[in-house]
Amino acid sequence: MGRRVSVAWMNLLHERTRLLVAIAGVAFAVLLIFMNLGFLGALTATTTNFYEQFNADLFLSSPETLEVSTTTAFPRERLYQAEGIPGVSRVMPLYSGYVLWRNPDPPHTSRAMFVWAYNPDDPVFLMPELETPSARRILQQPNVVFYDLRSRPDFGSSEIGTVTEAARRQVTIGGNYSLGGGFAADGTLIMSDQNFVRYLSPRPLDLVDTGLIQLTPGANPERVVRALEQALPADVDVYTKAGIMLRDQTYWISSTSIGFIFGLGVLVSFVVGIVIVYQILYTDIRDHLPEYATMKAMGYRNRYLFQIVLQEALLLAAMGYVPGLIVSLGLYELTLNATAGSLPVQMNLSRVGFVLVLTILMCSVSGLISVRKALSTDPAEVF
Amino acid sequence: MVATISEQNSVSVAKELAIKIEHLNFYFGTGELRKQVLFDISLDLPKGQIVILTGPSGSGKTTLLTLLGALRTLHEGSLQVLGKEIVGLPDKALIPIRRNIGFIFQAHNLFESLSASQNVETSVELTRNIGEKRQLAVDMLGQLGLSDRVDYKPNALSGGQKQRVAIARAMVNRPKIILADEPTAALDKASGRDVVTLMRHFCEEAGTTVLMVTHDNRILDVADRIINLVDGRLESDSDLETQTSRIS
Repeated sequence: MGRRVSVAWMNLLHERTRLLVAIAGVAFAVLLIFMNLGFLGALTATTTNFYEQFNADLFLSSPETLEVSTTTAFPRERLYQAEGIPGVSRVMPLYSGYVLWRNPDPPHTSRAMFVWAYNPDDPVFLMPELETPSARRILQQPNVVFYDLRSRPDFGSSEIGTVTEAARRQVTIGGNYSLGGGFAADGTLIMSDQNFVRYLSPRPLDLVDTGLIQLTPGANPERVVRALEQALPADVDVYTKAGIMLRDQTYWISSTSIGFIFGLGVLVSFVVGIVIVYQILYTDIRDHLPEYATMKAMGYRNRYLFQIVLQEALLLAAMGYVPGLIVSLGLYELTLNATAGSLPVQMNLSRVGFVLVLTILMCSVSGLISVRKALSTDPAEVF
Repeated sequence: MVATISEQNSVSVAKELAIKIEHLNFYFGTGELRKQVLFDISLDLPKGQIVILTGPSGSGKTTLLTLLGALRTLHEGSLQVLGKEIVGLPDKALIPIRRNIGFIFQAHNLFESLSASQNVETSVELTRNIGEKRQLAVDMLGQLGLSDRVDYKPNALSGGQKQRVAIARAMVNRPKIILADEPTAALDKASGRDVVTLMRHFCEEAGTTVLMVTHDNRILDVADRIINLVDGRLESDSDLETQTSRIS
């Protein structure tokens, strides 16, 4: 009994149909924002999540390399030079490139497949399928590759023993692993460096795409990075794992249109939300102009009307956000399933909070635009 | 000395008067489009008097009402509402003055989304008397014969009942002045009669001054005094009650 009558709440509840349309509108805007951020987040994750599977502490890469699938090779000597630095226990060259993969199933279309290649004796990856001695033996066989189970189904059968063509050479799937190629690659293969030379001929092995460095236990990574930077010429950069992940993420988000597209998507959804909420609030204010003017005649200040409109805006924000979040979670799940896990769209707490803030901001802006109508009512005009 | 005496005099006069108007002029528009609507109005409204303001349409009745209600800023003459001069006050300073005045409009202007009681409570909330607002609202509605309608929305009330809710909203804070513009225009004869009788009853009890604009001849008899306004000038001013003391 001791509380103010919530005019905002009662006004919203009074027009049920309008309220439902408003909630649907806000929820739709929230959903669009979540999907855009979800794709952006998934992109960021996919560009870097395979780095988690690299069995290395530091990375060497050419300064001209944009991200891991767009590399400029550097001389293998850099790795041998790095091997002499205190704290470095092992160096491993990693080669990468694209081959044209022929779908073993009809209609036998060919698509670019991303290839990782290394010396099978080096423990480059952490995937358990690649760590067994038999897997190493299979990798060493000529024209035999391991096939990524998270490649898109369009590449055809992933079954072990499947025979098809890569770069016009016969190839046999000798094993499987699960890694994923993110946005850069729809499918990936792993092969030995000897096979790499065959499939990507003429590609000499003394030019390396990415250098992998393992540290001795207890070595300080920062100190080794500094030592490497001093010892190595300017044709290679030294990264920690987090550093090279950041480089790739930054590339995808800022140097390609992808970050721009999703950023624009968020902006457009935000504006759509503002327009929807503005329309609803404006109509509501217009319908209640005599009442608002009466309140001003009674001695209410503009601040009170301001509060009513802002409260309506915030209530709409809250009521639209919740269904928007729930549907987004469903669509995230759907996207995850539709892309067979290769596009890891995942909700996280900071995004939940960020979009909530955006929603509140969106509705507040609409409230601020539409409230002018209520504030400008002249109480002398109601007579 | 002289100044002190006249000051004291004006204070004692102000105590007796709800509204004191002297040589008030009012214009709409500015520059070439400026049009004077009220000409040299001087008028005293004592406390507790019920005054009906009549006149042809366009004579400035409603404008005068909005001026007395502190709804417009004023520049010429003098207008004291409850002893406070409001000519020359900025819009912001007018707001607290409005809180001593109850407004009743031709349309009820109730929030359709709020119950009768909640509509009345919005008025009580202005006084920060929030703890008792429900009780005050229910009492007021009860006195206006709406005890069984306190939780009804305006849609479920008749025209007369809605107007009575609006009156309850205007009177619940026991204002010293009530300004009403055609309060019976939208009502049939019987409900119109009921509404003004109730108003009269309350205002007599609380010593409230009422200024009512009306064209409705059926209700002229509730007034103590009838003022006629023609073309923005006071045409006639007749006291119907001889015992009403007028201070000049």
